[in-house]
This record gives sequence, C-alpha cells and structure tokens, in this order.
Amino acid sequence: MLSTIFSADFFSAILRCTTPILFAALAASVAQKSGICNMALEGIMLFCALFGVLFTSVTGNFLTGLILTMIAGGLIGMLLAFFVLNLKTDEILAAIAINLIAEGGTVLLMLAVSGDRGSSTSISSFSAPTIAIPLIKDIPVIGNLISGHNLMVYLALIAVVIMHIFLYKTPFGLKIRAVGENKNAAESVGISSRKIQYVALILSGVLASMGGFFMSGGYMNMFTTGMVSGRGYSALAASAMGGNNPIGAFAVSLLFGASQALSNVMQLTEIPYQLVQMLPYLVVLIGLGVYSYSVMKRRQSLAGK
Amino acid sequence: MKKVLAMLLVTSMAISLAACGSSSSSTSTTSTTSETSEDSDSESSESTGETYKAALLLNGTLGDKSFYDSANEGLTSLEEELGSDVFTFKVEQMGGDASDESKWEPTLLDYCDSGEWDVIIIGTWQMGDALANAAEQYPDQKFMYFDEQYDFDENGNYGNIYNILYKQNEVSYLVGAAAAMLTTTEGIDGIDASTKLIGLIGGMDNAVINDFIVGYTQGATDIDSEIEIVTSFVGDFTDSAKGKELALAQFNSGVDVAFNVAGNAGLGLIEAAAETGHYAFGVDSDQAALLPDYADYIPTSALKNVGNSLILAIKADMEGTLEYGTTAIMGFAEGGVELVKDDHYEEMLPQEIRDTLDELEQQIIDGEIVVDTTIEIE
Repeated sequence: MLSTIFSADFFSAILRCTTPILFAALAASVAQKSGICNMALEGIMLFCALFGVLFTSVTGNFLTGLILTMIAGGLIGMLLAFFVLNLKTDEILAAIAINLIAEGGTVLLMLAVSGDRGSSTSISSFSAPTIAIPLIKDIPVIGNLISGHNLMVYLALIAVVIMHIFLYKTPFGLKIRAVGENKNAAESVGISSRKIQYVALILSGVLASMGGFFMSGGYMNMFTTGMVSGRGYSALAASAMGGNNPIGAFAVSLLFGASQALSNVMQLTEIPYQLVQMLPYLVVLIGLGVYSYSVMKRRQSLAGK
Repeated sequence: MKKVLAMLLVTSMAISLAACGSSSSSTSTTSTTSETSEDSDSESSESTGETYKAALLLNGTLGDKSFYDSANEGLTSLEEELGSDVFTFKVEQMGGDASDESKWEPTLLDYCDSGEWDVIIIGTWQMGDALANAAEQYPDQKFMYFDEQYDFDENGNYGNIYNILYKQNEVSYLVGAAAAMLTTTEGIDGIDASTKLIGLIGGMDNAVINDFIVGYTQGATDIDSEIEIVTSFVGDFTDSAKGKELALAQFNSGVDVAFNVAGNAGLGLIEAAAETGHYAFGVDSDQAALLPDYADYIPTSALKNVGNSLILAIKADMEGTLEYGTTAIMGFAEGGVELVKDDHYEEMLPQEIRDTLDELEQQIIDGEIVVDTTIEIE
C-alpha cells in the first residue's frame, strides 16, 4: 500500500481525481466573486460531458470539439444569467432546473443521436491527448511526475493561474469583485452590475464545461449516463472552503482529489470499504472545521487590534 | 405585447400538440416487434379462443441491450414457435425515468382492470410496491415478476404471483474460475502468470452484487486456493470515472483480470483494462459485442437470460403446471443464466480453459458443485 502511494501512478491518479473538481471549483469561485452562487455546475458539466463526445465526433478532432463544448457551456451559463438577472428567478431554483434538465436531457439526446441509453459507445469521439513534455520527461523521477498527464489536467492548472491574475490583477476582475462585495456601491461608481454578472456566469459556464469535457474526453473516453456523479456539488464546497478564490479553490480541490485517490487505493486493503468510502467526506468535514476555526481566529485577532 | 404573448402561447401549444402526436406515433413504431401480435390480439379477442395472452410491462424502454430486450426477444421467439393463435403478447414501454415512475402503477392497474391478459409480466425491484397493490386488488390476475422476489409474507400471498430469480452466483462462479485460470496461464499478453490476484468492481454492497461476489470467489478458489480476490465498490452504478480509477488501482497492484458488476460504472473497468492491456469480464449483456472497440479485452460476459426464463414459465403455465404464489430461481440447469460462448470467446480463451469451464458448468447442472449464495428464498 505504501509503495502504491509513493508512486507516479498514484500522483497522476490524484491529478485525475482533482481536475474535474478543480475546473468546477474555479467556475464556482468566479460566479461567487460576482455575488451569484452557481449551483448549476453539476448540470453544466453533465451536459458538456455529452456535448464533448458529440462535438468531437462531428468535427473529427478534439480541439474544435473542446472549443464548441466551451461555447455551449458558456451559453448555459448565459441562460442561467438570463433567468437570474433578467427574469429575477431565484438563482438556486434556476440552477436546480438546469441540473434536472441535464439529468434527463442528456439521456434523451443520447438516445436520439445514438439509440443508446446507457453509454455513448456507438459514437466514435476524440479525447484530449496525453502530453509528454519534451526534455522534462527525461528527468528521472520528476519527469514521470510532471510529464505524461492529460492535456486537460495541464489546462486546469494553467486556469488556476489565469483566473487568479484575472480576478486580482485586472480592472475587470476588480469590477467583478466589487459587484460581488456590494452591488449598489459598484453601481454608484458607474459599473453595470448586470453586465459584470453576465460575464462572470458565462465564464463560470465555460470553466465548468471544461470539467465536463474532461469527464468524457480524457478521464473516460465515452459518455455514460449520470457520469458527473456529484462532482459539481463537491466543487461548490471546494470553492467555498477555499474562500472563493482560485488559489484556495485549487488547494481544496487537490485535497479532495488526494483523499478520493487515497480512498480508491485503500479499497485494496482489508479495511472495511464503508469506512474507506467515508474518507473523502471526512476530509471535507475536517477541512471545513479547520477553515472555520482559522476564519474565527482571524476575526478575533482583527477585533483585538 | 399581449399579441406577442398570445402568439407564443399558440405556438407552444401547437408544438406540444405536435410533440404528443409524434410521441404516440413513436410508441406505435417502437412496438413494431409486437405489431403482429397486436393485430392478432384483436382477432383473438373476438374469437375468445384459447390464445394465451401475455402483457409485458417494462418500467423502462426497449433498447437497453439487457433485461428488457432479452424479455422481449424471449416472448417474440415463443410466439414464432407456437404461432400467434396459441400465444400472443404485447409490450408496454412505460419509460424508466424518474418522471415516468408516476405512471407505472396506473398502467399496471389498467392492464389488470382490462381482464384480457392471461398473465402480466413485470420486472425489477422498482415495481415491487405497484405489484403489491395490483396483486391485492386483482387476486384473479396472474403475474410473473422477474429479477426480484415479491415478499409473500410481508405483502400477503394471493396465489397470483410467480417470482423469477436468477442464480447470478452460478454464472459468476464460472467467471471466477475463468479469471483464476486466465491469470495463471502463461504466454498471454498482459497476463503476469506469477501473481495470483484477480479483481472485481461492484456497484453497491447489496444482495445481488454480493451474490455475484460469493460465486466469483468460490469459482476462483476452487480452481486455485491461493488465488486472492480484490473487491472494490464504486458506491453507485453511474460513476464510470470512479469505476475506472478503482480499476486502475487494482491493475497497478498486480491484478490482471477483473469482473465488473457495477452497471454503467463498470464501463470504467473495461476502459481501464483496455488502456493498461489487461482483461475485464462483462455482465448483464454481451459487452464484447456491444463495445467493439474494447472487445479484445473482454473474454466473455455473464448473462441473465430473462427471455429464456419467461418462455419456460409461460410454457409451464399453458400446461397448467406452473405454481403461482411461489418463487423460482433459475440457474444453468433451467437456462436462467449463461456465459457468452461465441466465436469471440473461443478466440480469447485457450482450449483448456474452455474445456474446464464446460466441465464446471455441467457439474453445476448435475448438482455436483453447489455454489454459495447470499439470496434467501422463502
């Protein structure tokens, strides 16, 4: 078991488990920064997992398929924004509606396209390739750790940096955060909060769609019914625990991914699997406890000043 | 503005009407398999002869490439064999989504109420509550209930239900034996004959899955008592990515051959096997035929033969020998389960393994091997 944990295979398992949650957690944090809780991540991911298969199959290569999937994800994000901002629907209700539509709609769509209900095996789709980084891959030990992962894994890591710069170093990011902090104050200095929130939700949809794409085009190489299995909700928790900022979301997603990968390996041992399956959730609970404690401490020390 | 709204309303109604129209036409086309039987239905109801009429109510749709298709194929072949003046049937596809659930029971009661069916066939545990109501309200209506047992003690026995269960432990025994032999055979790509580890990915820790596991374990250890079985549970039947992750962990730890009993999540095992060049056994449908891209890594699949079991039950009922109010459990001897043995299977597995499997199957049929089970029959 220890030899399994200290291996390159286990490290890449962690990254695989982390990636879908990470994309969605970034999506959650950018929406949350603009003041909207995007609970539709689960549905967007599920839709885009299927779209990824369909689009790569139609276009014949993964890149155009990925771009089309991202556009589709953005459109779903825009739909959510339209409901919430223009029609003044409750954001949670609109999100639940999208999630429910995704659950049934993906099966319906797959049935219509391929005649299958369970999986998209009859559609020949294209997955994102595995990247072997030149030079680095030849370095002993480290080469195996850094190189040889799926392209989407690297994109997720790059997205963390980009989102951090976008939210904290650009004027537009500042506007998003301003709207999220206090809508009225932002409006008073001439920022159109609706426009900002639209952009944030579209961006959120695009990020979630990449997580969905990875599920069926990298993690698995096919779409199977209900394959997102709650990762969108885990991501919401990850984003919240990470203080709704990209770096924090990344750290917590990595924690989730690592505990998931660890629990998968622990199933190989004699430990009862019911206990093992609790592990990821236990980590979430402990993480939340530590987080709230640190927030409380900080607040106390601020008050003490 | 009002005009626009009115127009929208009209178009939406038109669309919904059109949708209704198309859906009704699609149901008629999807039941083309039973079209001939429907035609003869009307004839037979006029003649009120001795035609045996069965209604197959599916809480899903045809095209699942598993249970429901198997049931439909069984009844179709029975009709061809006996002729439609002796036996006819009708398939009602009630849909399997959460939104369809509300119409399962009313549909079942409608069929009971019509009184024109000699037997109504339903399946899976999800129909249990609806069946309990129908059986009580219509004690004269006969039911066949497959892949789950109606609890006679708890719900009352009106002598009108025939439970059909499958001995998944028997077919799983053969899979376990095949896996054990495969993992110790030298000279096969992707098999390290020195390690005696085989794997299994289960969906959830429930009675049917455990029945699979018990059979698999017994089959493997009967071949070689040193074989170790690694079992992982996905926790649901949908998370295929987690299934793949668990399978990769098993393959990395030295497993060469594994068996998936996890529904859609089990597809993850098959992908993992193909990716790492190992082997995965299929379940519920002929997965090698269904997944041509992965067929090279799927030696064979374990099937429950719903169609066969229905043919047997209906034939017995026609002869008047079927005892309602009881539970039948169908294994190899009754043709209720089978291991796919086609050309692909012969290509994938060496002669000696196949011979041993045939022998073991015969021994199970003869009762020389009794496979342990976790299913309790009342």
